[in-house]
Amino acid sequence: MSTKPRDWADDDDLEETTQTEQLPPPQTIQNKDGTKTTITYRYNEDGQKVKTTRRIRLVTHREVVNPRVAERKNWPKFGLSANDKVGPQSDTTSVGENIIFRLSTNWKKDTKEEAKESATDALKDKLKDKTVKCRICNGEHFTARCPYKDTMAPVGAEGAADVAAGMGDEVSVGAAGAGKKGSYVPPAMRAGATGGAGERMGGKFGERDDLATLRVTNVSEMAEEGELRDMFERFGRVTRVFLAKDRETGMAKGFAFISFADRTDAVKACNSMDGYGFKHLILRVEFAKKAA
Amino acid sequence: MRPILLSGHERALTQIKYNPDGDLLFSVSKDQVICVWFAHNGERLGTYKGHVGAIWTVDCDPSNTFIASGSADNTIRLWEIKTGRLLKTWEFPTAIKRVEFSPDGSQLLGVTEKRMGHLGTIVVLNINPDVDAEQSDEKELTIVCDESKATVAGWSYLSKYIVAGHEDGSVSKYNAKTGEVEDNLPVHELNMQVTDLQWSPDRTYFITASKDKTARLIAVRDLQILKTYPSDTPLNSACITPKKDYVILGGGQAAMDVTTTAARQGKFEARFYHKIFEDEVGRVRGHFGPLNTVAADPNGKSYASGGEDGYVRVHHFDKGYFDFQYEVERELARKQQQA
Repeated sequence: MSTKPRDWADDDDLEETTQTEQLPPPQTIQNKDGTKTTITYRYNEDGQKVKTTRRIRLVTHREVVNPRVAERKNWPKFGLSANDKVGPQSDTTSVGENIIFRLSTNWKKDTKEEAKESATDALKDKLKDKTVKCRICNGEHFTARCPYKDTMAPVGAEGAADVAAGMGDEVSVGAAGAGKKGSYVPPAMRAGATGGAGERMGGKFGERDDLATLRVTNVSEMAEEGELRDMFERFGRVTRVFLAKDRETGMAKGFAFISFADRTDAVKACNSMDGYGFKHLILRVEFAKKAA
Repeated sequence: MRPILLSGHERALTQIKYNPDGDLLFSVSKDQVICVWFAHNGERLGTYKGHVGAIWTVDCDPSNTFIASGSADNTIRLWEIKTGRLLKTWEFPTAIKRVEFSPDGSQLLGVTEKRMGHLGTIVVLNINPDVDAEQSDEKELTIVCDESKATVAGWSYLSKYIVAGHEDGSVSKYNAKTGEVEDNLPVHELNMQVTDLQWSPDRTYFITASKDKTARLIAVRDLQILKTYPSDTPLNSACITPKKDYVILGGGQAAMDVTTTAARQGKFEARFYHKIFEDEVGRVRGHFGPLNTVAADPNGKSYASGGEDGYVRVHHFDKGYFDFQYEVERELARKQQQA
């Protein structure tokens, strides 16, 4: 026990399986460094004998207090507190959560920057989950920027579908969703809901590939999608990981696509992951080319 | 910094005050009860019961024997701190908005409200320092504020002057012996009420808080404005911290508007300004209503704030608070060390 260095506050539980009738008397040993070691024995619930060794250091903390203040601490309580016990009562006194209080000469500037940062972060977070979608043609832009703003009624409005359909291929997906007439169409149902999820996903691929999808080649056969996700998630929010696998063997084919929510994150990932060694192979990372 | 929350009151706090030794904290609220707490751990020592109206003000005498309280039941009451015994009740025609003991404890001033045809006044009462003695009914002095009622008042150094803050935003200085007006200056914006007046430890200057969103440091001698601390919200209270050169301001928009805004916009924070440089150096959040009153521990180790939310929060400062210095202060300290 005394051979290895130990923290004085550590408890030492030593269990002995052999049951003896008599417990040894508690021991107190005075150590050289001013600490005391006490050893006590007891039986636990399972009838096993437990030896507890405690090293105790007594520190006398002396504080000089105004005698009047010291006297007041011993005053009996009165009024509504007359029946209270010694010490703070839980019904009137509680401890609040910790407040970080740091004084700073340019406090105003600091907090302003913080607020600004958090505001942009919040906005970014919000937008990450959403793709911008036009209410008029379902294109990837704000409604206000829509080229058909003046000529078309919003999706879902009477007759919008026909006009949109005649407008060209760009709006065809949206127009299909808009065929369902109603006052409000939830976003999840707007496009592709009637045509099935697969169609919508397919339609989305082209757009996504453009924006922030990386093609990763020379991936090890043993790679897993989760590993890739972990690797790329460091650069930003990853929306999709696709690892091509052999249908029969289940082994990776050696390439993967990683889609990011944010193009800037994708650029970062592309720059730093290209040439990264992963499972004995050197990854090659580039932006995915648009499918023909 | 973990604040201690004192929840002994059921309604909005109106004033909190440390005793001169800084170990006790007195709090009064609109719920008609005075509470006394140990400042170091927030333990409640007792309550003083007797008032039958909202209590607006409390003060502890320099010998730590008495407290005086002023209430909307038109009385000033004198209590023994140790036992909670009511020693004396003085009746007035209107509510009492502020009481303060003179620096030697021999006198007590009270500010009465202007109401029902009565003008606002500042009265001075003599206090017998013996606990068991009969206190006199006689008013030593009555100052009538005929222009604008006084909202706050206090004694200057050596009980030489009585300084009062008024409803119209002005501050005036009266001779404490004769009651004559010696000076009256508009320090805050016109008709922006002075809401608090607290003294520096030596009582040669004081800080006023006002509804005009500023607090000002004013010298007693000529009522000159020494410093101005602008904020973005009406202020209810301001105090000067001993040991370190800061002032603490408390405010928030008026209680009646509170329910219409979020806590964040309500600005219910205690603001720390550097006393000399007038810069805001930090804020402490926590209350979910405006701060009605702030008080600094005479030992400089803590401060307490009381809010419209009915809580008193006692904050014991961390090491960082004491270590914080401006670059110029640090330089000065270095030079002094070398010399």
